[in-house]
Amino acid sequence: MSIEEKADNVCIKVEPTEPMARIIRLATAALASRVGLNLDQADDLNTAVEEVFRSIIVTGNETADLFSMRYRVLQDRLEVIMESVPLDLSDQSSSVNRYSRFVIESIIDDLSDMPNPEKGFDIHMVKYLAN
Amino acid sequence: MPDSPRKTPSRSEIRALFVSYTETRDPKVKNALVDAHMDLVHSLARRFANRGEPLDDLVQVASIGLLKAIDRFDPERNVQFSTYAVPTIVGELKRYFRDRASTIRLPRGLRERTYKLNAAIQQYSQEHGRPPNISEIAAATGINEEEVIEGLEGAEASSVASLDTTSDNGEMSLLDVLGDDDRALANLDERLSLAGSMSNLDTREQSLIYLRFVEGLSQTEIAERLGISQMHVSRLLRRALMILRQDLVASTGPHSA
Repeated sequence: MSIEEKADNVCIKVEPTEPMARIIRLATAALASRVGLNLDQADDLNTAVEEVFRSIIVTGNETADLFSMRYRVLQDRLEVIMESVPLDLSDQSSSVNRYSRFVIESIIDDLSDMPNPEKGFDIHMVKYLAN
Repeated sequence: MPDSPRKTPSRSEIRALFVSYTETRDPKVKNALVDAHMDLVHSLARRFANRGEPLDDLVQVASIGLLKAIDRFDPERNVQFSTYAVPTIVGELKRYFRDRASTIRLPRGLRERTYKLNAAIQQYSQEHGRPPNISEIAAATGINEEEVIEGLEGAEASSVASLDTTSDNGEMSLLDVLGDDDRALANLDERLSLAGSMSNLDTREQSLIYLRFVEGLSQTEIAERLGISQMHVSRLLRRALMILRQDLVASTGPHSA
């Protein structure tokens, strides 16, 4: 039996462009604040989000799609799900992927990724409130 | 008739005040200690008065340093308070000038807010052994949470100070603190197959990456180790990561092996 946790959900759709990186940083910082993450934790999450977002900016001109990301604000953690990302973190034959995974795994508590049914990969990152 | 000169407390009176303050943390005792050391504050502030900042502002900054020194001073240690306080006050003044230099392009209001945030973050981290969250910074500064987030982001967006910046204790550059760790950095380069991209960072940037991502130090721990602010570490790391990624993508393509 599972008990469903109560979460606030926030969805953002933005163009994958450089000016939007700041909007995403502000949104992530604000939501990290709601959970109560300290500055180090909030900055770690922002760095990881930025790392993924920059991989989208690189290929953004090819797709011209709006990029979707979802936040789940829970009592003890903040989850970020970045959708249809053109970054296959499981493919470690690519040096860029290897680098991105190293950076993100170093600073994020939980990281998982799976193929998106339509395009790219969904990347799920979690940062927990420190004890 | 001229005012009678203010009576300066004797060493034994100062020591008694510190013993009392250590035991009670009574704000009245703290005020008495502040009053007893305002000559020192003015004297140190005047040393920096020829750098284009109003003396009143410098006295205010130096006073913050004095308050920190009073809070941290242990009267059981066989050290005179003034000996202990001078580096703290001078450090606060230097930090003020450094932060002004690194945020010179920000509007005055935002610049002042950034300085206030920086000071609050450092003080909180020292007192609690961990960095604050946004609401704790808001409570400490009286700035609302939205403005705190904006202020921190504004500081991020400002120009990045040089890695050669003298650290807050005024004695060492970052390079002096970190030194060269070529073997460890070469291993990191090899491990990540960065195709030599690490060598495109200067030694100090490489060392920051190493401390954060290999040794696993938090930004606050790095800041303490280097004697700079957490906000400064955050800016420098972000810049180094951006350079690394750009170089890597440029040399291999976004999805190349």
